[in-house]
Amino acid sequence: MTKTIELSGVQQRFHARGAAGGYLTAVEDASFTLSPEPPQVVSLVGQSGSGKSTIARNVLGLQKPTSGTVKYGGKDIFKLNRDEYDDYRRNVQPVFQDPYAIFNPFYRVDRVLWKAVKKFGLATSRAEGLALIERSLDAVKLDPDRVLGRYPHQLSGGQRQRVMLARIHMLRPAFVIADEPVSMLDAQVRRLFLDILLDFQREYGMTTLFITHDLSTVYYLGGSVMVINRGRIVERGPVDVVMHEPSHPYTRLLLDSIPQPDPDQRWTGRIEVDELSGTAEAGTPKATAPETPII
Amino acid sequence: MSDDDIVLEISGLEVGYSTNRGEVKAVSGLDLAVRRGEILGIAGESGSGKSTLAVALLRLLKPPGKVTAGSAIFRPRGRSPVDLLKVEGEELRVLRWSALSYLPQGSMSSLNPVMRIGDQFRDVILEHAPDRKNTLSELIPRLLAQVGLEPDVARMYPHELSGGMKQRVLMAICVALEPDLVIADEPTTALDVTIQRVILQSLVDLQRDFGVTLVVISHDMGVHAQLVDRVAVMYEGKLVEVGDVRQVYKQPQHEYTRQLIESIPRLGRRAS
Repeated sequence: MTKTIELSGVQQRFHARGAAGGYLTAVEDASFTLSPEPPQVVSLVGQSGSGKSTIARNVLGLQKPTSGTVKYGGKDIFKLNRDEYDDYRRNVQPVFQDPYAIFNPFYRVDRVLWKAVKKFGLATSRAEGLALIERSLDAVKLDPDRVLGRYPHQLSGGQRQRVMLARIHMLRPAFVIADEPVSMLDAQVRRLFLDILLDFQREYGMTTLFITHDLSTVYYLGGSVMVINRGRIVERGPVDVVMHEPSHPYTRLLLDSIPQPDPDQRWTGRIEVDELSGTAEAGTPKATAPETPII
Repeated sequence: MSDDDIVLEISGLEVGYSTNRGEVKAVSGLDLAVRRGEILGIAGESGSGKSTLAVALLRLLKPPGKVTAGSAIFRPRGRSPVDLLKVEGEELRVLRWSALSYLPQGSMSSLNPVMRIGDQFRDVILEHAPDRKNTLSELIPRLLAQVGLEPDVARMYPHELSGGMKQRVLMAICVALEPDLVIADEPTTALDVTIQRVILQSLVDLQRDFGVTLVVISHDMGVHAQLVDRVAVMYEGKLVEVGDVRQVYKQPQHEYTRQLIESIPRLGRRAS
């Protein structure tokens, strides 16, 4: 049975001192469906403060939307019964941004893996559990001897992020919700991480919601993309189409702001960002030459 | 070119880190001249020694790091030239912020979390230029405006600001006392593209309006292409190439430079 994740009309407000009306709207009218058939990567891209992480928290059930619904298998995730909730918890797995903050520094890293084994009853004996953990560490190109028994501070950021991938490999969820998982990794480790994620999609049929501010990562992953600005999804479609023929001015602004490695193609225009409200003034990239020459 | 046009002249710089397995050379035999008023980029991959170079020049290098040879003659306007690698104590303290300042990475930890932004400006300015005390109320809003921030920001705490705003506050503090040289270490890393563009814009403004000399360290060749006048490329602790940015991008003299330029993730390359 394949279940989908369906957001409809999700709005998220936060109380904020000084904001108009006393609240800040982080997400407005977000609707999309993540389907496991066929397995796919859906990227959600936008700048800091655009509401992308709030959407991740809504999908993961960590934050109840102010209005609108998040449904898993057709039922509101905040109204699931115990069995349904377990199924949802098992099949919708997160990878967070900060590989330093997700581990309890007092426990060995094994713990996050053993907890998963126990909670979801993946193994009947310790030996079986260990074999499972080792297999999963192999799958993410980590040497079990160099990881098991270590404390988080003894591993690099890339290794820690891959331990979280190993956990996902053990659980084989239908959905992975990855919130900026590579933004703290350097280029080489970043690529390894993305390749593993794509492997999982192909081999185990996982569908990933990939949240990032980095367009080159989106391009690398392929699949489809949604562009979010000021809490609204302003454009969506296949990566190739959105990147090559962006229809929304904000998408064009984002693409235009990637620094091109050519000193002869410097930006000539300026952009103004009103960061207090977490928004970029779209539509003012004076950098680009007019598309049609003015005669 | 006369000595006056060179604000910083590094020669034969060697920096090493002593480890259990002997000394690791992070910077070796580096010669580099920074011209007054230019933006000089320092490029290179992680571990190429670019940040070590910055901390050595700023005298923030901590053991086991050690400068083993070389000199860095700094010629601030209106002061006598000093060797940054030898200057000590009070003499060094006086140079900081007023002649030489540092713009750290766009990380979250560079501002004091329990002080209002305005107080952090006051701290730096009063410590290094007490005679400006009477102009503070006018100076701080002007500095904030310079980097595109509202005067209200002075009353805020760092946690009320976004990453890009914090980075701009740091830029404003950096130029508060009109230093001769600002060393920026990865000033836009960890910021998203639109904010990065705004920061780069402001850096150019600062150079134009204040005449500061900027040394910008970045691994991103796109940033260098957009921002700098000249670029120096480091590889394994050595300087492999220095030149006018257009020249370097068009005709890289060194194989490594060419690879670095080509390695930029562009829209158009993806997983197979």
